[in-house]
Amino acid sequence: MALEFSAQALQKISAIIGRYPHKQSAVVPVLYVAQEEFGHLSTEAVDCVAKLMEIPAARLYGIASFYSMLHMKPVGRHHIQVCRTLPCALQGSDKIIEFLKNRLAIGPGETTPDGKITLTAVECLASCGTAPVMQINDEYYENLSEEKIEKILGFLK
Amino acid sequence: MEKILLRNIEIQDSHKLSVYKSHRGYAALEKVLKGMTPEGLTEEVSASGLRGRGGAGFPTGKKWSFVPKDNPKPKYLIANADESEPGTFKDRLLIERDPHAIIEGAILAAYAIQSHQGFIYIRGEFVFGARVLEKALDEARQAGYFGKNILGSGYNLELTLHRGAGAYICGEETALLSSLEGGRGWPKLKPPFPATHGLFGCPTVVNNVETLAALPWIVDRGAARYAALGTEKSKGSKLFSVSGHVRRPGVYEVELGYPLKSFLEEVCGGMREGRELKGVIPGGSSVPVLRRDEIDGVRMDYESIAAAGSLLGSGGVIVMDDTTCMVKAAWNLARFYAHESCGQCSPCREGCHWLEKIFARIEEGKGNKDDLDLVLSVSGNISGNTICPLGDAAAMPAVAFVKKYRDEFEQHIRQRRCPVTAAEAQASAR
Amino acid sequence: METVKISIDGRELDAGKDRTVIQAAEDAGISIPHYCYHPKLSIAGNCRMCLVEVEKIPKLQIACNTLVQEGMVVKTQSPQVLAARRGVLEFLLINHPLDCPICDQAGECWLQNYYMDYSLEASRFSERKEPERKRQPFGPNVVFDAERCIKCTRCVRFLDEVTQTHELTVLNRSDDSTIALFPGKTLDNPLAANVNDICPVGALTDRDFRFRARVWYLKSTPSICPGCSTGCNIHIETYENRIARFKPRINDSVNGHWICDEGRYCFHGLTGGERLTSPLIRQEGGKLVPADWDSAVQAALIGLRDTEGLAGLLSARSTNEEAFLFARLMRAFSPKATVEVSYQARDLTTVEKILKSPDRSPNYRGAREMGAGTEPGWESWRDKLLDGDLRALYLAGEDLLSLFPDPERILRAIRGLSFLVVQDTTLSPTAELAHVVFPATHFAEKEGTYTNRRGRVQRVCCACVAPAGALPDHAIFGRLLAALGHPQAGSNPADVFRQITAEIPRYRDLTYESIGGAGVELEGI
Repeated sequence: MALEFSAQALQKISAIIGRYPHKQSAVVPVLYVAQEEFGHLSTEAVDCVAKLMEIPAARLYGIASFYSMLHMKPVGRHHIQVCRTLPCALQGSDKIIEFLKNRLAIGPGETTPDGKITLTAVECLASCGTAPVMQINDEYYENLSEEKIEKILGFLK
Repeated sequence: MEKILLRNIEIQDSHKLSVYKSHRGYAALEKVLKGMTPEGLTEEVSASGLRGRGGAGFPTGKKWSFVPKDNPKPKYLIANADESEPGTFKDRLLIERDPHAIIEGAILAAYAIQSHQGFIYIRGEFVFGARVLEKALDEARQAGYFGKNILGSGYNLELTLHRGAGAYICGEETALLSSLEGGRGWPKLKPPFPATHGLFGCPTVVNNVETLAALPWIVDRGAARYAALGTEKSKGSKLFSVSGHVRRPGVYEVELGYPLKSFLEEVCGGMREGRELKGVIPGGSSVPVLRRDEIDGVRMDYESIAAAGSLLGSGGVIVMDDTTCMVKAAWNLARFYAHESCGQCSPCREGCHWLEKIFARIEEGKGNKDDLDLVLSVSGNISGNTICPLGDAAAMPAVAFVKKYRDEFEQHIRQRRCPVTAAEAQASAR
Repeated sequence: METVKISIDGRELDAGKDRTVIQAAEDAGISIPHYCYHPKLSIAGNCRMCLVEVEKIPKLQIACNTLVQEGMVVKTQSPQVLAARRGVLEFLLINHPLDCPICDQAGECWLQNYYMDYSLEASRFSERKEPERKRQPFGPNVVFDAERCIKCTRCVRFLDEVTQTHELTVLNRSDDSTIALFPGKTLDNPLAANVNDICPVGALTDRDFRFRARVWYLKSTPSICPGCSTGCNIHIETYENRIARFKPRINDSVNGHWICDEGRYCFHGLTGGERLTSPLIRQEGGKLVPADWDSAVQAALIGLRDTEGLAGLLSARSTNEEAFLFARLMRAFSPKATVEVSYQARDLTTVEKILKSPDRSPNYRGAREMGAGTEPGWESWRDKLLDGDLRALYLAGEDLLSLFPDPERILRAIRGLSFLVVQDTTLSPTAELAHVVFPATHFAEKEGTYTNRRGRVQRVCCACVAPAGALPDHAIFGRLLAALGHPQAGSNPADVFRQITAEIPRYRDLTYESIGGAGVELEGI
């Protein structure tokens, strides 16, 4: 079943493409729009963008799969990304990840059965001075502790 | 030292144009457009001694001068806001609190190389930072600081913000270009070099945002003022991101040449209660770690740190005290590079993950006595043989950790467990 | 061409100014090991196997992306270079599966070969190899094994740059990188199987050839593809006298490094079936029975000589030498014989046009230049047949019934013939209607020349031994000519070719030696 962009999304895409001297440069920004529109970059979504951007589908498939923030598989409503790189590790990121694993009953890379939360361990988020750090969707949460995390989880709908 | 890069960040609403302007914002741009040629500006920046602050430390004026003046192709200026080097978080501060300094710097750099199209490539995770920059760009555009006929000078410049999508390698300038061309973040073969064959094959300069943010002050106050700071070969000041086991982590602006030990003990508040320094990575995870006994007399400038066997790099200072298992630290970094390798060339694609696997095995207690020499050998086969420096960036910490903490690694292998955590467990049991 | 002076391993060379080190070395007969480099594809520089030492440059440089410069001094065998090669090989082997015993590439695998040349080191890898998808059919002719892949991207670049069909991509990052099709799509463009050739390892392998034979048992014969009039240069590789596969033979004047899939596998349709091993004559009662050559030759003579409405049709797969004799033979039968060479026209897609000709008739041009075409063209001959103007027919090398879309009409035309002689490898449907059948050989069982549609004369070589009892077309024509009182000075191909060069002006200065392996393009149209 072929996917189609909404009129709104098409407007967004048009505006994005207009900002670049070369249409090609807009590939990743347009993939972001597709991700938002369709939930994740399924095969159909990639095909849809490929046609719009006039790029071979296979090539776009390869491009999308390169980037950590472009999701080829569905992601929960709240994507909890805990930094695991050295500065955060020195401040106990291991324990944070372990805490979340137990709290959510899912492992890193997995999603809760109700589709609410996906837990991922990610690399350096460039917030090392306030480690340990995690990112949930667009927001950074810094200076984490188990209490803080408990509070944050309570706010997630 | 008078703050240059951090001069605005404590000011309320420093990200706003009105506030920026009231603190000499865009005065440099006005000065340049009124009476400086691109060559003149390049000379001024060369005279200042400013070096690239992203990690390579290449003289900025010299980099600009590599752009061929008579080339008919469009020229591109790209601000590298893809900050992803572990231990580094200085650019984020500038982006969120002093975006106009970056924008003004980008316009100045674009003018110097006669570019009429600039990009700011910001890492995808900096969503808030991207919003701040987008707003600041709108303000600057409205005020006529870029666009057509800037301040009536006849100079045109378009600036476009571009978000990345989660790839450390896109901080490498040619991978950034590949990404900005709409492709995978694959570094390009050099030669040719970006100055002559960059974005879409056109002359391109990529500058780190910290480098760009220093330009307005340098132009406004004059190169001599900047060159009066720092050391003979490392002029001016730099932002250092401090993290790990210190009392006061954070971003600090330091005059280059400042003694490292004093910096850690006094400025950063020293170690945590009852702990001792075990090792410090001075310039982001890609540079060799320095042992406690190696930092005496070392100064925070390019030459001194190089002489000590490491690199100033991005200035990401990661401090590790005696609770740190160096095997785990080495494994952590190996895992980082394995995850971030773009996968293009054989040594990095296969070698980085191999290093991770060896360290993981040692950490788990399944190491054997040949593993350490194996790490050194594998690292040696990666170094210098890859398309881009990520291979070297993975090799350097692997080699440094093994060489400098060899006893600990050997003990860990012999005892089949971490001697540090074992000692810690014993200590806390007492 | 401008040159610069360089030195490679102490040898002073004049290198073409725009050549890279790897190319300049190749020009001088020095091989630098490599995987991702291919002379017809863009430079990828990702395998790092061709690292060499260049004086005055501290780091090793990849030879494929380093342009030669005046005074450049290159070392390809220094200790540093050899260590780098061993290192690269080690990296490529650590996750490589131990598939050699079941991998078709064994014997022509660049990992095996370079390992033997540059390494011979024991493995130092004691970790777990990453398992990946194996035996993944990418298309009707291509199988992919992700574990064996070294990510050199030759396949991706071929499909992006040569066929421009973009079926493959590199998926994911780091050592999760793998080659992939877009889900739901297939790799089936007309040149697809070339990726099996250019893959240096067993990651991409030919489905048709899968498990057919070990390559070190194959006998290789240079020849020309009988698929169409492009005349792609090939190697015919046989195993125990049966064709196992075609491989492209490099000829930059004809097919470059490639052949099309249709041509690559066309030997199946041209060599199968139960072979005729004896002449056949139709008895008074109606059945075809085996006969000796003399009787069959006599029977053919009686049926064809001086007949009104005599026609001859020669397969376009016949060689120039065969065509020359056939033309002579038909004239000897009757000066008014209507002779033609078969021609199968077809439309081509864009991708097909890269290599294929708009016909399936490899030597149509050559055969006609030998005099085997009296008609203005194939269509004219065909119309005469269908209109019933032809009374007797000598048909060599074609199954006439399969050449036409409307078999009913042609069947009527054939039944209307007073005499039909068929010369073929099997008892085709048309042969079953004949009065005399001669057992012949196929394209790989003979020697001779083809002239492609651009006028290039190329050598066809004998790769297989014909079954006992069958004779090559030129030998059969020779016997008939002798029986007619026109013995040839020699009817073996070399002798015939000499006659050709003596009698046909455009072929005047040629010899088999001068044609060589690359062929010679004739002057004029």
